[in-house]
Amino acid sequence: MNTKRMLSRANLDALIRDLVAAGTVVVAPTHSSGQERTGVTYGQVQSPDEVLLDGPQPIRPLKGVVFPPTEALFRWRQEKSAVKIEEVPTGFKETVVIGARPCDAAGLEVVDCVMGWDFRDELWFGRRQATTVLAMACTTCDESCFCTAVGLSPTSTRGADWFLTPVDGGFEVDVVTPKGEAILDRYKARCPEAGGAAPSRTAGLEQQVRANLDVRPDRIRGWLETHFDDPLWKRVALRCHGCGACAFVCPSCHCFDIVDEPDGAASGTRRRNWDSCQTALFTLHGSGHNPRKDQTARFRQRIMHKFSIYPARFGEVLCTGCGRCVRVCAAGMDLVSILAEIDRAAQGGGEA
Amino acid sequence: MQELRELARKLLQEKQVSAILGYEHGRLGTRPAFVTDVADCERLVFDHRCVHNLAAYLSPRRTHIAALGRLAVVVKSCDARAVAGLIRESQIKREDVVLIGVRCGGVVRDAADARPLSADNVAPRCVACEKREPTLADHLVGEPKPAPAGSGSRDARLSEIEAMSAGERLALWMQLLAPCTRCHACRQVCPMCFCERCIAEKTQPTWIETSPHARGNLAWHLTRALHLAGRCVDCGECERACPAQIPLGLLNRKVARVVADRYGYIVADDPSTPTPIGTYQLDDAQEFIQ
Amino acid sequence: MNLYQPHLVRVEEMVDETIDTRTFKLSFEDAAVAERFDFKAGQFGEYSVFGAGECTFCIASPPTRKGYIEASFKAVGKATRAMRRLNVGDTMGFRGPYGNYFPLDQMMGKNILFIAGGIGLAPVRCVIWNTLDLRDRFRDVTIVYGARSVADLVYKRELEEWAGRSDVILHQCVDPGGETPDWKGDICFVPTLVEKLAPSPHDTYAIVCGPPIMITFTLPLLEKLGFASDHVYTTLENRMKCGLGKCGRCNVGSVYVCKDGPVFTAAQLKTLPPEY
Repeated sequence: MNTKRMLSRANLDALIRDLVAAGTVVVAPTHSSGQERTGVTYGQVQSPDEVLLDGPQPIRPLKGVVFPPTEALFRWRQEKSAVKIEEVPTGFKETVVIGARPCDAAGLEVVDCVMGWDFRDELWFGRRQATTVLAMACTTCDESCFCTAVGLSPTSTRGADWFLTPVDGGFEVDVVTPKGEAILDRYKARCPEAGGAAPSRTAGLEQQVRANLDVRPDRIRGWLETHFDDPLWKRVALRCHGCGACAFVCPSCHCFDIVDEPDGAASGTRRRNWDSCQTALFTLHGSGHNPRKDQTARFRQRIMHKFSIYPARFGEVLCTGCGRCVRVCAAGMDLVSILAEIDRAAQGGGEA
Repeated sequence: MQELRELARKLLQEKQVSAILGYEHGRLGTRPAFVTDVADCERLVFDHRCVHNLAAYLSPRRTHIAALGRLAVVVKSCDARAVAGLIRESQIKREDVVLIGVRCGGVVRDAADARPLSADNVAPRCVACEKREPTLADHLVGEPKPAPAGSGSRDARLSEIEAMSAGERLALWMQLLAPCTRCHACRQVCPMCFCERCIAEKTQPTWIETSPHARGNLAWHLTRALHLAGRCVDCGECERACPAQIPLGLLNRKVARVVADRYGYIVADDPSTPTPIGTYQLDDAQEFIQ
Repeated sequence: MNLYQPHLVRVEEMVDETIDTRTFKLSFEDAAVAERFDFKAGQFGEYSVFGAGECTFCIASPPTRKGYIEASFKAVGKATRAMRRLNVGDTMGFRGPYGNYFPLDQMMGKNILFIAGGIGLAPVRCVIWNTLDLRDRFRDVTIVYGARSVADLVYKRELEEWAGRSDVILHQCVDPGGETPDWKGDICFVPTLVEKLAPSPHDTYAIVCGPPIMITFTLPLLEKLGFASDHVYTTLENRMKCGLGKCGRCNVGSVYVCKDGPVFTAAQLKTLPPEY
């Protein structure tokens, strides 16, 4: 696992063809089809031509590969008073992700904590197990990226089974995990050992990202633990529409709803669907009581859960600094500015 | 801009309003701003990046905003149509809000777009805009601006889709709606989606499946488009807010076309014009009622 | 099989406690599940009405009674209304037991004071029976229970049974205006009755459950009476879906009510923000 290997672009293309031919689901950044859509997204590809490795960050997070936006939990069938439950499989088709951004790969590991907390979520881990992540170092970033502020970087190997660094001629491959070893064994011919290290095309990126936001998560957490009623929340939440788009594009948001969907009088599917603490219904009791009844309370919950509650519980910040929430927010909430303000206040010792 | 700031200061000083709802420069482009102090009026701006429709913040459901008190809102002519809609449908009273109309020369599609306004980045609705200052306003600020550069029929794609067969259209929409994850950003940013409890949130019975699968997504988007018939003000916020980049405007523009053809009605910023969904005229077309 | 899949249970019996509160007695269809099912007083489950959804209730029967579980509920939403339309013999689902529990082991040899209001008696009733089934392991058992009116008192047959036992002290009250001509109990709010009784905190654990307004007044009262805040227990409810710590819904402050609760001490409640 310590030997760096070399993967030429030609060999990467051949690897993709091999995987597709073997029936493996290959997911990679790709253009959405159709003339309306211009974004790059993680999608299933059938050939190397569809793969876009030096484009912008995919607009959707990678979590959808192991945690689909909607997922059947089981099906039921009713016959008079009796009910039969049909199980859903917990084994999944082998999937290889090629070109995952480090912020997306890391997100999977961060959410593992809650999915394995006492009760093991077989659906999440079933898909995790079936998925091999070949992450790739970033060669571009923008003003919304802030992975370095949460302990990651454009070259972080967290969550990666292989880590590819773009170099002249192709990619340098770092085989990170036993699962990565297993894929390497099957496709060894594509990845000969490297000679010397070729110059990476990622130089300078880390500094660029650090310039966007330079804060300490532990300091932020300390402030959050003692400033539940700070006027910052009321002020900042005014412009928030409570839409939850931020949660839905986030690599580490994982809250979900459970619903029953009948497909007739006598059968149906129970599903889990992506959900967000930003909606008014999230905490609404059957009695009509809503503990978080305005956007101030709901927005505060989002920040608290990500930067204080989850870290306290699992030792991980529930954020990988991918910046999607900043890019997608119609109201310009800008988490980067908010974290910067909180960190400043934490240092100043006073109110924000 | 100074004119806007001076007016804002005056409104606050004279206690005509408790807060100004306008725009400011954030770290990356413009964003909505709530200003309660006279000194902070310096933050208020208006330029071609002020794309947001601030009328969405006027809904009485936003209790934390209503708690601020009487607001003065900066409105472009498209935004004023939404304010008119809220008044028309009894969500707010005309006298409860002060409207600062701005003369607008068009806005960009993306509030963070740092480039000057051009045919490349202008919001499509601005090119077709016939009235670049609102009638519904208490004040009007800014210099008159020329129409923004831009070409091409705005609804070319819409006409293309209309020419498809029903089967082709269904296939197209299933494909376009597939990436929808039901975040409901489209609804949250829409000034006319102010229902206390949206039909998609009702459970007794569940009218619209909440799951982001093909059936649920089609049901949601078609229902929302129909519920906005004659009400959508074409501000483009839903499409701007959609994290999956779904061209939602196509649906709303199609419904608007039907409403215009059938009822001769186009949404304007006059709150006294009755809405076609809310009114019945004896000579309304009704040949489809069998 | 995944962790969201419920066991099948059969509705064995239905009792109407009040005009809007019903108790179901449920048995597991699978004999092996029935055999090994066990839980501790205070834990809850997710009860499925297939087609309508799941609801969260504490298990209202005590763990000392084997072969069945009970749940008491009001019809307030989609799933509970659907549950109310079920008949004896119908099939439901059950996932659980989830959550933490009242540390009865710790309370053995001590006095227990139960304070409940309205349907809040349901989670407490489980502990009461658990205690009474092991009566000689506890010292004094006192129950203070009240509701809006006589009609709103739940578990009326059991209240009669408890009133008749010499090893239980039962005090009841109804709100002013809620009494009937033959009402023998007090006419006041539950916290008022507690204040009047002025129970001693010495070697006593208090278990409190009821509507938020009752808790708001009762906990400070107990503190005033000298109860240590780690000797006062309550059970919280919060909107839940998965019930096992994954979906994020019941998170309030630093706790997940489904994992760190639903049983909390008054001391722990003080550390939580008022978002439950």
